[in-house]
Amino acid sequence: MNRIQTKLKEDKKLLSIYFTAGYPSINDTVSIIQNLEKNGVNMIEIGLPFSDPLADGPTIQASSTQALKNGMTTEVLFNQLKDIRKTVSIPLIIMGYFNPMLQYGVEAFCKKCQEIGIDGLIIPDLPVDVYHEEYQAIFEKYGLINVFLITPQTSVERINFIDSISNGFIYMVSSASTTGAQSGFGDEQTNYFERIDKMNLNNPQIIGFGISNNETFRQATQYAKGAIIGSAFVKHVSNKGVNNISDFVKSILN
Amino acid sequence: MKLKICGMKYQENIEQVAALQPDYLGFIFYEKSARHFDTVIPELSKSIKKTGVFVDADLEFVIKKINTHNLQAVQLHGNESPEYCEALRHAELDSASHKKDKNLKQFQIDEKLEIIKVFSIKNEFNFDVLKPYENVVDYFLFDTKGKLPGGNGYTFDWNVLNNYPSTKPFFLSGGIGIEQTLDIKKFKKSKASKYCYAIDVNSKFEIEPGLKNIELLKEFKNKLSNNKMNYNVNEKGYYGEFGGAFIPEMLYPNVEELRQNYLKIMAEPDFKKEFDQLLKDYVGRPSPLYFAKRLSEKYNTKIYLKREDLNHTGAHKINNTIGQILMAKRLGKTRIIAETGAGQHGVATATVCALMGLECIVYMGEIDIARQAPNVARMKMLGATVVPALSGSRTLKDATNEAIRDWINNPVNTHYIIGSAIGPHPYPDMVTRFQSVISEEIKWQLKEQEGRENPDYVVACIGGGSNAAGTYYHYLHEEDVNIIAVEAAGLGIDSGESAATSVLGKEGIIHGCKTLLMQTKDGQITEPYSISAGLDYPGVGPMHAHLSKTGRAQFMSITDSDAMAAGLELSKLEGIIPAIETSHALAIFEHKKFKPNDVVVVSLSGRGDKDLNTYIDYFKL
Ligand SMILES: Cc1ncc(COP(=O)(O)O)c(C=O)c1O
Repeated sequence: MNRIQTKLKEDKKLLSIYFTAGYPSINDTVSIIQNLEKNGVNMIEIGLPFSDPLADGPTIQASSTQALKNGMTTEVLFNQLKDIRKTVSIPLIIMGYFNPMLQYGVEAFCKKCQEIGIDGLIIPDLPVDVYHEEYQAIFEKYGLINVFLITPQTSVERINFIDSISNGFIYMVSSASTTGAQSGFGDEQTNYFERIDKMNLNNPQIIGFGISNNETFRQATQYAKGAIIGSAFVKHVSNKGVNNISDFVKSILN
Repeated sequence: MKLKICGMKYQENIEQVAALQPDYLGFIFYEKSARHFDTVIPELSKSIKKTGVFVDADLEFVIKKINTHNLQAVQLHGNESPEYCEALRHAELDSASHKKDKNLKQFQIDEKLEIIKVFSIKNEFNFDVLKPYENVVDYFLFDTKGKLPGGNGYTFDWNVLNNYPSTKPFFLSGGIGIEQTLDIKKFKKSKASKYCYAIDVNSKFEIEPGLKNIELLKEFKNKLSNNKMNYNVNEKGYYGEFGGAFIPEMLYPNVEELRQNYLKIMAEPDFKKEFDQLLKDYVGRPSPLYFAKRLSEKYNTKIYLKREDLNHTGAHKINNTIGQILMAKRLGKTRIIAETGAGQHGVATATVCALMGLECIVYMGEIDIARQAPNVARMKMLGATVVPALSGSRTLKDATNEAIRDWINNPVNTHYIIGSAIGPHPYPDMVTRFQSVISEEIKWQLKEQEGRENPDYVVACIGGGSNAAGTYYHYLHEEDVNIIAVEAAGLGIDSGESAATSVLGKEGIIHGCKTLLMQTKDGQITEPYSISAGLDYPGVGPMHAHLSKTGRAQFMSITDSDAMAAGLELSKLEGIIPAIETSHALAIFEHKKFKPNDVVVVSLSGRGDKDLNTYIDYFKL
């Protein structure tokens, strides 16, 4: 069984953290991952930076631009991660835009992920339909779980379709927005969380976008299996560096 | 090219072949032939011309067969003289379809008997023998010279036709089989095929003489039509391998709503009426097609300028924004967003928002805001909010990113008016259709001025490719019209400061579509450079990527300095100051020679007012 699937079976709410690889400095990748695991984070999304991250707000945009300036590339990231499974056992997911993967070669990319011990991918601009028609077989060949997004605007039929071709979890985008911290969830969001929860989908849901502190983490995990924090963590390492990760994780999990 | 299937004999077989919808079916009235026809032709679809084939037959015999079988065409395979053909042409025909009715002139013309005269070619041919027939037949047919009058089963050397001196359309015949598909494709591209009107097949598609192999014919027909490239978008949103909708799920409902509705809405009589009316009364269309006499003299060819610069707001951009604002209203949207580079599209969007009373937010790179100040002021006067794009390289690409992010954050009430033939499907197609008014007008305007709808060349500059798409649209499938696409080379292709996507780009994904784009080998999108803000885009619309890949369009790249010189030249020669984008298209005359009789239509996409500062600085005016 894939590490993501095993983790989802555990009887607890999951905290997943996103960070941009190559930020703040090019060689922080491995130590960030190790620190996150040590401090009790359950799953990690490693952001492969892209020049034009359409679905991201200012924080992740800026970290991506800096990471690229620092010299991060697909090849560099794979090299940094080559021994990661010697020290880290929680699920690792690469999150990135499709063009860098396309240029690397989709199959070569997937093969490399398997060799390293990456468990899944999140590619916001690879539409479900294209994945299903062109790439699903390749992902499956290399044991990778592809994670799809749904939003408050996603229709019931489409959610059911996404559920039917998912085999890990569904990434629930909390509101119509790009990534970035919001000031808490209102009725509109909690209604949507409840609506999806009641659909009893085959795949558990993990909520992301706009989760930044203990309060929003608790709100989200009331309805879902877990929650993902991105921008707030990126801000934290940008201000406090990579040595104070425990403070951040503690502040979320209390 | 048309298809003629010859040597039909058996009733049921005739019906099966007719179901494949060839353009001509041939019946041989020659006793010595193994395919001699002596029964009754079944009822056939009107679009199929029944053709009688004769070898030195008596005129009376031919006329009798025409009348009995209601033939629409006659193919003469023997040594029939020009006088014979002339006599046949004037013969009194009394079959139903040839009844002369003085009141139905159109009918007479349509139903005129077609005369096809056959000539057999071995390895060479003296084309002088055609001369006496020029005025008495409708088509020539070239067959292989062999023992028999036709049906020898092998092809002749089609290169002989390179010397074809006439302009009369001809049929290509003689031993053509399925194995010639590729040769036919090649032939179609060659000069020799210029007047080739139809392909004629017979013995290579038979089970026995006169009995045609339906499956084989079907395959041949499919292969021939598959070879016909489609340059329009397909039902999945692709131009060949380019296009599609690579968008985050957050945008899916918006883009899907548009995809499901755009063609339906555009087809509504109401919509058409309002669109046409606004183009006429508000934009000032049709824009003139102006014969540039002095420019033509200088380059010794016939240059026409399609004056999009005379549109309200000074460029072609408004054709698209008028269309999209009407679309947005019908979709119930109340808030409009747009990206802009040079500011032309921003101004055109702000203008239509003012016209319709809708909120307008325009994203513009911080650097472009500085270099296009007059357009920023215009947008503000028109009531739009101009938001600087501060991310990335702070130019057009980043303004587009910001507009897309805005749309993600405002999915319900907002319509995004993309300014070029780029973005996720259906945008490239929708923008192209709104801009296609350009070539629609060129067709009738050129007909008025030159007596023909098709020029020899259409030329346009390409940023994302909207003025180009509109200029090419009605000519994409007209094989006699050459397409030239002009990209910005900046300081030179190899300088590292360029925007020549077709040369420097590679297949990839930008702003929701798969196309050619400038990127690092790692897949990061790179920053283009051009003196013209409107051509300063790292990608190109998917239609153009396809035109480049298939070779349908010739791509040329023009440097800053060549473009600036061409802008100055047009000003001095014709009294027209063009936008710097447009100057790129005009600069090709220094690089490519045209023939004196070539008709070259250039899209004069915009006027130079917005670029005065750049011209002033550059020429120290
Ligand atoms: C006058 C003019 N021509 C051409 C362009 C290039 O755009 P497109 O390739 O979409 O026609 C622009 C863009 O701003 C323009 O202003």
